[in-house]
Amino acid sequence: MRNRFTAQVVALTLIASFSLTGCSWWHNHFGPKTAPNQTKSTQPGQLGTGPGTGPGSTDLQPGERPELTGVQDRSQFAAQTVYFDYDSAKIKPGEHSKLDAVAAALNGNNKKLIIEGHTDERGTAEYNRALGEKRAQSAREALVSLGLAADRLTTVSYGKDRPVEPLHAETAWSKNRRAEFVVVGQ
Amino acid sequence: MKNWFWLAVSLLATSAQAQVSISKNFVKKSIVVTSFTGGANVSDVMKNDLRLSGSFDIKPAGESAEYLVQGSADAAGVKCFVTQLATKASVLARAYQSAGNPRTTAHSIADDIVQAVTGQRGIAQTKIAFIYSPKRGVKELAVMDYDGFNVRVLTHDEKISGHPRWSPDGRKIVYTSYWKNFPDVLEADLTTNQRRVLANFPGVNSGADYSPDGQTIALTLSKAGNPALYTMNAGGGGLRRLTNAKGAESSPTWSPDGQTIAYVSDDRGSPQIYTISRSGGEPTRLTVSPSYNTEPAWSHPPAGSEMKPTVAVTSRVGGGFQVGVYDPGTQAVTPKAADGDCTDPTWAPDGHHLVFGKLRGYRSRLYLLDVRTNEQLELPVMDGESSEPAWGPWR
Repeated sequence: MRNRFTAQVVALTLIASFSLTGCSWWHNHFGPKTAPNQTKSTQPGQLGTGPGTGPGSTDLQPGERPELTGVQDRSQFAAQTVYFDYDSAKIKPGEHSKLDAVAAALNGNNKKLIIEGHTDERGTAEYNRALGEKRAQSAREALVSLGLAADRLTTVSYGKDRPVEPLHAETAWSKNRRAEFVVVGQ
Repeated sequence: MKNWFWLAVSLLATSAQAQVSISKNFVKKSIVVTSFTGGANVSDVMKNDLRLSGSFDIKPAGESAEYLVQGSADAAGVKCFVTQLATKASVLARAYQSAGNPRTTAHSIADDIVQAVTGQRGIAQTKIAFIYSPKRGVKELAVMDYDGFNVRVLTHDEKISGHPRWSPDGRKIVYTSYWKNFPDVLEADLTTNQRRVLANFPGVNSGADYSPDGQTIALTLSKAGNPALYTMNAGGGGLRRLTNAKGAESSPTWSPDGQTIAYVSDDRGSPQIYTISRSGGEPTRLTVSPSYNTEPAWSHPPAGSEMKPTVAVTSRVGGGFQVGVYDPGTQAVTPKAADGDCTDPTWAPDGHHLVFGKLRGYRSRLYLLDVRTNEQLELPVMDGESSEPAWGPWR
């Protein structure tokens, strides 16, 4: 018990002394930033300069992800955002009508869909990245079973990194646990 | 009576192969560090290193101690002398040429002092990679000295980055990047400043971790459905699926001998830690309690160390998050940091320091912890948020 108290006093003293020393750091720029989607390079290029600059390096792992060109519209299905319970990627019974609506709207054309999976802010970034993907895949499976071709549907997980509501409470968290549908038009 | 009880418990624990990482007999060495004449900037940094090492009880000048550190600096360089006071023996007497940065010299001196006094290799010259968020919605890859200084933000993509891990030679970092608006695994070469794509399959590409020999990368891919574990050659290609459970797998970490991978699976509902052979096969469950464990990190203590290889995890207990270490004897997790939401532990190469993220007021900061004493220190605060640390190797 005595050691633990001493440890706490030591820790507090050290934290206090750290707060006073501040920190020195420099921002190491490797070059100008490029705007996203400006180049068609397959390589991320130099650290710090964005894609497409620097001497070419071999692309040793050609991507399989299809290029999604076209205007992205997230307003068409804004009202069909599917919400999830904490820790869960299961489609709740009350959410199925939204998926029906998305499937029905897309049955008459061949537009592609990006299904985004999101989580609330609690927990680790990496676990939430996987959970977001599970949510997107749940929605995707449901849409496939409603007749949409799987190759029209691309999933992307944003984990906890793109909340719609920033508050630290369940009123916000429940809105952040979601799958959103983004139409990619011609 | 009590001492005999604890001795019996620790003997029992050792014999039952309970590889708990707290060294119950750990005692700090008392030391006095006097400011170097003409070189207080060096001795101040070095003294801080000795504090962070966790191995010293630093006494004020004038008090008695086992060891005394003195030194001086001039244009030529820095001299450092460490004396064991009881015997008057010189434990270290060394001259250091001036480096460009006095911090570099100080860290070198600190490591020499740790080695000379404790017989163990110090961590003062190591680096930590981490994720730096200057503003909401932007997360960049960054590297800093282990003491929180010399931060270099390496990317300026203004996108999301995550989960950095070092190659064993310290020259490369694999990490997750949304450079093309989807989570891909990139490898950054710190000597050439080039990046290349390692995995950009449909779905999530994330959680990449180098094997101890640097030849293989384990990672999480969802190209075939639920997120699962794969391995690939560090040079590219050779993709091979490892796990085939119904649930989702993520966050691989390699054992020190490179034969086993620990990871997260939610196959039984909530996430727990499992292990699997690097060549696949039947998984073995590690954690049973608490009911939610993620982000395993397997320590690789140096040969001859009294520290055993240990798996640190992030547990959820009562709605909050804690950093703990797995106890094979009980299959439970011993909490090490539970004062706030503590997550994403990473081990120093000495096998007894951890750095992890802690939320304070919903801002994430990095903390250093010595598992021998449970002492915690906040690393110097930057603007913005710091998270997902990864401790670099000895070089």
